[in-house]
Amino acid sequence: MSDYVAAQQTETPRVLKLKIERFRGLQSLDWNPSCGMNIVLGGGDAGKTTILDAIALLFSPTNSIVLSEADYWQRKVEEGFVIQAVVELPASSEIGQQQKFAWPWEWNGSDAVPPISDEDDDVQGGSSSGKRVYRLQVQGTAELEINWEIVQPNDETDLLSAAVRRNIGIVRLSGDDRNDRDLRLVYGSALDRLLADKGLRARIGKRVSEIDLAAYLGDDAKTAMEKLDATLKAEALPSGLDLALTTSQGLSIGALIGLMADRDSGVSLPLASWGAGTRRMTALQIAAASEAESSITVIDEIERGLEPYRQRKLIKSLQAQGSQSFVTTHSAAAINAADDASLWYLDGAGHIGALPRAKVARQQERDPETFLARFAVIAEGPTEVGFLSSMLERAIDGSFADHGVRVCNGQGNPATLDLLEALTGGGLAFGGFADDEGHASGRWSALKTTMGDRLFQWTAGCTEEAIIKLVPKDRLAELIAHNDAGVAAERRITLATRLGTDDTSLEAIIQTTGDFRALLIAAATGSKDGATNNEVAKMWSRHGGRWFKSVTGGRELADKMFALGVWPTLRSDLLPFINAIRAALGQAEITDIAYDG
Amino acid sequence: MTDEGVAALLNSDAPFVVVEAPAGCGKTYQGACYALRAASKLSTGRVLILTHTHAACAAFAKSTRTVHRKVEIRTLDSLIVQIAAAYHKALDLPPDPAAWARRQGNEAYATLANQVGKLLASHPFVAAALAERFPVIIADEHQDASADQHSVLVALREAGARLRIFGDPMQGIYARGNEATSARARWEENKSAGVFAELQTPHRWRDGTPALGRWILEARAALKEGHPIDLTGSLPQGLTLINADNCASGRGYRLSNAERVPIDAVARNSSELLILTPQNDLTEALAALWNRSIPIWEGHTRPALDQLITAGEAADRNPVALANAFVEFMGSVATGFSPSSHGNRFVQEVSQNCSRTARGKPANIQKLARIILDEPDHNGVAKCLATLSDFRRDSAVGFEGIKIDYRSEYRDAIRLGNFADPHDGLAELGRRRSFAHPMPPARAISTIHKAKGLQCDNALILPCDGRFSQTLYSRCRLYVAISRAKRSLTLVLPRRNSSPLFLT
Repeated sequence: MSDYVAAQQTETPRVLKLKIERFRGLQSLDWNPSCGMNIVLGGGDAGKTTILDAIALLFSPTNSIVLSEADYWQRKVEEGFVIQAVVELPASSEIGQQQKFAWPWEWNGSDAVPPISDEDDDVQGGSSSGKRVYRLQVQGTAELEINWEIVQPNDETDLLSAAVRRNIGIVRLSGDDRNDRDLRLVYGSALDRLLADKGLRARIGKRVSEIDLAAYLGDDAKTAMEKLDATLKAEALPSGLDLALTTSQGLSIGALIGLMADRDSGVSLPLASWGAGTRRMTALQIAAASEAESSITVIDEIERGLEPYRQRKLIKSLQAQGSQSFVTTHSAAAINAADDASLWYLDGAGHIGALPRAKVARQQERDPETFLARFAVIAEGPTEVGFLSSMLERAIDGSFADHGVRVCNGQGNPATLDLLEALTGGGLAFGGFADDEGHASGRWSALKTTMGDRLFQWTAGCTEEAIIKLVPKDRLAELIAHNDAGVAAERRITLATRLGTDDTSLEAIIQTTGDFRALLIAAATGSKDGATNNEVAKMWSRHGGRWFKSVTGGRELADKMFALGVWPTLRSDLLPFINAIRAALGQAEITDIAYDG
Repeated sequence: MTDEGVAALLNSDAPFVVVEAPAGCGKTYQGACYALRAASKLSTGRVLILTHTHAACAAFAKSTRTVHRKVEIRTLDSLIVQIAAAYHKALDLPPDPAAWARRQGNEAYATLANQVGKLLASHPFVAAALAERFPVIIADEHQDASADQHSVLVALREAGARLRIFGDPMQGIYARGNEATSARARWEENKSAGVFAELQTPHRWRDGTPALGRWILEARAALKEGHPIDLTGSLPQGLTLINADNCASGRGYRLSNAERVPIDAVARNSSELLILTPQNDLTEALAALWNRSIPIWEGHTRPALDQLITAGEAADRNPVALANAFVEFMGSVATGFSPSSHGNRFVQEVSQNCSRTARGKPANIQKLARIILDEPDHNGVAKCLATLSDFRRDSAVGFEGIKIDYRSEYRDAIRLGNFADPHDGLAELGRRRSFAHPMPPARAISTIHKAKGLQCDNALILPCDGRFSQTLYSRCRLYVAISRAKRSLTLVLPRRNSSPLFLT
């Protein structure tokens, strides 16, 4: 074979595109995963496991799969389901050796197309890559039947044999605790592929059938056998009875054969009885040791049964294999270890989008839960986190955290903007809550256009300013009040300092200042305006911390918004945002938030 | 080169081996043996044998039966059509290029070969996928491959398939004129591009007449060089020359009673005989000469039927146009149903809605016309032909003298009535034919084209007249004709209008 051709061929199977229609909880999903490790993140029930199940079903090594109504989206069996993948396959898959020839498609960078001729590059929107791909699909029919098919470039379909699927090979570690398939000699299992001995089952079967089982019968059992034999003979039924291993349909002797290993000195136990983590790591090692070209690995909840150090080890060894893998995880240790992996986020609406590593890395490290939530809101800073949490406690039915809503600290205005842009670029449903610092207004308004009500930004200034501005004049002093008298005293000090007086009593401060509200805003936001030198400016900028610049401070600010009668004025601004979050959770729109005060 | 030497070359790792194989030198045997050896060595994939004719497919199928799961045998055109069907979108063709090509005629196959050749050249991944399935490709009768067909094989070879081509430039009878010259040039190019070997042992005559076999190889060498065949010296055992002149006044072939005696003797005394003639219309004339006691070998093509379907489709349920197509078809496959004897009246009846009262022969013609009027489509035509058959069987008035020359074609036209779509029917009948591998009867009249690839104990070639001209095409055609005979070869040479290819 010439070098030119060899260069065109892949050595490992890869899914370049995955399309799921109406399979289980996913109505529709269209995804171009990357060639290495794909880590799918997202909140509970978003459908991460369904994606893995879909891949596993498409490459299932056996035909003996029984569908149920639950495999169909909304149990609408009559509409069927389709899982289709565009794949690159090595010659060892023998995709081209089926009875009917499988014609290759060409990969145009985003999909499989019939061979592109150079002249119509523009028309097709892609360019000729010369990459040979195949379109495979599995369909669930309205009759609950399952068909594996090859889609030909002329849109005809032909059978995709179990043999080819077995050659492609999929290593599946499911979340199911009892699953030890790959440690057994089941058709298409990792152990089966490793041993690659086609005659083994027959030879074992022959030896087993040679065992004289009847010789092991107890005396009573022997008598019972003899009696039965006599009876059958008298009734002119088959007689001359003996016992032997007989197979029944669907049961292979291989299923009874599994790996054993020394547990303690000399005691051999089935590997299947080891802990979940050990079993999974062993199964992966078996797959990796296989002579056959590496396969596609699918692992649900990679952290299962593994301590963080073993999670890191597993992720690193998977990454080193160079074959494609699909992984779900809830483990921050696992995500952080996967430095070569592509991160994907599946949002509650069934959209999957890339989490660009460079842009989400900081957020990922600081708050891994951002990408494990069902609906994450990136709030600009601690004040906003506290403020929003307090508001959501009032506005969401039940505990918002239990619903999978996570309010995350976006670490400042520019970082929040970057992150939100990266996330919405992937078409994902995230929320955002930010100040208006007067910077990058063009980018913010572009973001607002894509995010709609899911983004809330104060029209001018920050949260503190927005609230304090609206507090009735006669109640301004109540902003200082705090359960802890020490905190209230410190707040008065920040005010007095700014006025240059030593008297920190409220009366003195009010008397000295010409504009009490402006003074409060300046202190609460840590404004440096009017500072006489750098030393002073530095000190003043820390004043915010005494007020609301913390998560608890943000909560206090929200409480005061309700208590001091500010809410009615802000209601119309904030409610659309609240309702956007409620909508993501499937909760009905509300017209007001109930509060005391 | 010895047979063993050729076999060793075929077995070698050389990516490209070209074997020149004169007729009867064990080409099919060598090819099939190599296919068996190669197939048993393959761990995956199959050996692909590509031929030009269905007859050759049949020959290979017979000798590779033991490994049929690992050997795929088909015509090069069918492979090209299959590729075109898979990629019809990229090639901007209708979804069923096979039906399209049948409808368009031979030119369409050339177009398909051209497009598929370009597709494979510009998209090596398609060729690579095919080369994985077929790591070994044996191309038979490659001298008949067009430049475009050849480019398909080149693409597969470049994608890694091991290519073995067999051919005989002296049996290239599908290209004429300039095309024949460039086909010859391509063969020479192939010879220098690959490793070249030539089969030289005349196996076909081993249990026939070996001397005749040697003489045929010598004749081949002469024709190849552009020399005439020398008939002046002593003739080998098995070769007979008969002088006879065609005395038909117009078209046709007729002999004086005296001159046909020795020819009749050959026809009568040979239990296995191919009567070979250079032109289509001569087959009918020869059938008439022996009073249709010797059938015409129709081969695998059905040209009149193709024409009937095309004309029927153009008629678009117009009964008169359909009636005309029917008359045309009858003219091609039978004698005794001419426009003057039946056709004109038949068309007239259809155009006048069978309104005239008639008796006897016209009444029978009217019966046929009614069928067309009732069903002006291929079903009506089929029923009409079936009824006409009944008329002949029952010697109905006016239908006693009709003789069917092309019985298979006539039968197939009736069978088409069982199909909803005539093109599907044509395809299906063609498919059945290629699976059934029909062979000619023991004694048959055939054109040289249809006899290509066949062999027979005795061959009678007539007339060996000026139709065999000096052109490369004619020389090839003559060589194909003479190389069919295993035991005896009889040449009927006219005194007038003699061929320049014989030195007498």
